[in-house]
Amino acid sequence: MSEQKPLLEVENLNVRFHLRTGTVEAVRGVSFSLGRERLGIVGESGSGKSQTGRAILGLTPPPGEVTADRLTFDGIDLLSIPRRQLRNLRGGRMTMVMQDPKYSLNPVMTIGDQMIEAYRAHRRAGRKEAREKSLEMLEAVQMRDPARVFSLYPHEASGGMGQRAMIAMMLVTDPDFLIADEPTSALDVTVQQEVLRILDRLVAERGMGLIFISHDLRLVSSFCDRVLVMYGGKVMEELAAGDLDAARHPYTRGLMNCLPALEGSAHPLPTLERDPAWTQ
Amino acid sequence: MIDIRDLSVVFGSGRLRVEAVKGLSMRIAEGESFGLVGESGSGKSTVLRAICGLAPVSAGTIAVAGKPVPVPRNRAFFATVQMVFQDPYGSLHPRQTVDQILSEPLAIHRLSDRDRRIARALADVGLGSSFRFRYPHQLSGGQRQRVAIARALILDPRVILLDEPTSALDASVQAEILNLLERLRAERRLTYILVSHDLAVVTHLCDRLLVMRNGETVEETDTEHLRAGKAETAYTRALMKATEGFTRAAPASTE
Amino acid sequence: MTGSLERPQTLREWLTTSEPSSRTQARLGRTYLSWRTFSRNPLAMLGLLVVVGLIIVAIFADQLATHSPIVGGDLRTARLLPPSAEHWLGTDSQARDIYSRLVHGSRLTLMIVALVTVLAMPVGLLIGTVAGYVGGWVDATLMRITDIFLAFPRLILALAFVAALGPGIENAIIAIAITSWPPYARIARAETLTIRNSDFIAAVRLQGASRARIIARHIMPLCVPSVIIRVTLDMAGIILTAAGLGFLGLGAQPPMPEWGAMIAAGRQYIVDYWWVATMPGIAIFVVSLGFNLLGDGLRDVLDPKAAR
Repeated sequence: MSEQKPLLEVENLNVRFHLRTGTVEAVRGVSFSLGRERLGIVGESGSGKSQTGRAILGLTPPPGEVTADRLTFDGIDLLSIPRRQLRNLRGGRMTMVMQDPKYSLNPVMTIGDQMIEAYRAHRRAGRKEAREKSLEMLEAVQMRDPARVFSLYPHEASGGMGQRAMIAMMLVTDPDFLIADEPTSALDVTVQQEVLRILDRLVAERGMGLIFISHDLRLVSSFCDRVLVMYGGKVMEELAAGDLDAARHPYTRGLMNCLPALEGSAHPLPTLERDPAWTQ
Repeated sequence: MIDIRDLSVVFGSGRLRVEAVKGLSMRIAEGESFGLVGESGSGKSTVLRAICGLAPVSAGTIAVAGKPVPVPRNRAFFATVQMVFQDPYGSLHPRQTVDQILSEPLAIHRLSDRDRRIARALADVGLGSSFRFRYPHQLSGGQRQRVAIARALILDPRVILLDEPTSALDASVQAEILNLLERLRAERRLTYILVSHDLAVVTHLCDRLLVMRNGETVEETDTEHLRAGKAETAYTRALMKATEGFTRAAPASTE
Repeated sequence: MTGSLERPQTLREWLTTSEPSSRTQARLGRTYLSWRTFSRNPLAMLGLLVVVGLIIVAIFADQLATHSPIVGGDLRTARLLPPSAEHWLGTDSQARDIYSRLVHGSRLTLMIVALVTVLAMPVGLLIGTVAGYVGGWVDATLMRITDIFLAFPRLILALAFVAALGPGIENAIIAIAITSWPPYARIARAETLTIRNSDFIAAVRLQGASRARIIARHIMPLCVPSVIIRVTLDMAGIILTAAGLGFLGLGAQPPMPEWGAMIAAGRQYIVDYWWVATMPGIAIFVVSLGFNLLGDGLRDVLDPKAAR
């Protein structure tokens, strides 16, 4: 792996939501940098992992406020560029795959039309070229019959198929950087493997940077190169994926130990004692 | 305790006909914890729903405690068999307090001494009395699932059907709920049928299990066998592989 | 968890605690939170003000009125007088004080509103929830009946009923009630269909609850808010229908001070003596608007779907 200038740099990222009942700090002082590699962000619900991903893409929902000492993508300051430019970047050079294809695909447009639209929104290209590119991409996500999938409506596709189509759509513009937020949680375990393998291959072939957000520590550590463990909006620990067994932080350890294992696990399972000091 | 023979469940008719369960048989002894494993659409949840009358039995027989289940299910049946649902956000009435939710089964079965029973049920699932008058939206996912378990326990049933009881919960909360279920079974000699897509969860709680796919039995096996690597079918092996996370090298095809 | 043994400091803390210690406290706390949402909406508060004002005026009509609403003054000198210090809103063709008639008319309006609510809401709620929950031929039958009622414009159907029952305020109310339940039944049914397959209903079924119990105790409470919202929003329409019947001479009969009938009576003088028809018109407008604003505010509080 060539260690050049990092693709994405995040320093002291904060996301706050000002609500009537007070301010909720969803992300508090998160820093990391990403090269052309696979970074996993693991945490339980409310850990701020998804809000971190959204903040990077400028997708924090309205009452939210994002601040950072530094948030750059390939040297471009994402916090200060005009919204229009950010929109072009997003979906073009950086993009996101979400949990459930049912909610992230437009139900009244065929998969193919959505792909063409996505492509042409970012490239000056004719319909024909866009169509060819889309079919190519559907083939790349191992659709058996790309032409048929192309003309399907999202509800006509199965879960795994929909998610693969989603990945194809997101990658059709040849992005440099992809955020995958729980991309396989809505899928069956056997389909999950297949989708991950496709994602893995595409990321490797194209030399993309990937942030993989998930609650599943085992999955993330087996898929990614590095893992950030988040809790209460803060990063508890950053680890190389192979070094998970050497995790120092009690939260990471607790998270690993509380999972039942096929080979046999303690009865009762060790539970996680949360230390308020972690979020101080 | 539970004896199911050649159970078939069919929804709809004509072109919309769906055979959710096709000729499934299983026997579960009293005090046993039995696992049903499968992916979505495998019919595993439908089996539970057929047992308690939420899904139609098209063919075959179901017997609980040696007697065929009554049609429609009567109160005595529900005092024996109870169920815990997957989604703790959907299984509690959004406008009822924990107290109202737990009072309802007592009122239906005309049981006296409600205050004491509710307090005991809450204590059994590890919730203090301070939770009694809260609404579901004031509880976390794990706390809601505890309330759902308390509701199932309050009639003192002998069988509890668990439909993916932890799949909507965080890993650390899942461990707490699994421990709770295990403790309750030991204390009350309960019989469990646990439905899950996660083999690790099933083998943690159950000794025997049945793998389902497309409404049919793939294989019936036990935890010992699986741990010894003696799964008979490729499908079961693929499910086992998936519990370890992602594997870069492609395993044998599952199709 | 720390037990809240010590007495909470203020009433607000007691209401908003996350650990209520009794049923009453939990319920009051919930009501308080709803009220807080509601009271932050100025338009909704305005609507509430109008409706409360209407109720107060109706209660204290005898004290508030300056003249008799029925018996007019001297027909030679006091007919069709413009608004003045003596007659705040002028007098009508029978030399009656319009202000006093409006004040007393509020009782009629309120009675119509209350009776229609009491008659139509339970009927709609019951038919809708039963049809939605039981399904099958029960659903088909009940909904076709509902459709028949829905197929006629409300005023026309009410006219037909009044024609059959005879004119009069009671018959007008019955006619309006009969014509206004179908939308509530539709809403209740739609709501029921989304609730009936949820796990919490399955859970109550698995406790052995009867259908009647499930509908009454578990489904209806969830349908009530949307029906209440709809009824409140419908109030304007109900008042207008009542006024319309009155206007056509089929509702309240003279000399009752019903607002619609008052407009009808003022119609022939509209060019020269504008206040006779305009004043009751303004009253109808203000009260209808009040109910509409109140309904909108209630929707924000009661309907979790619209709040997002």
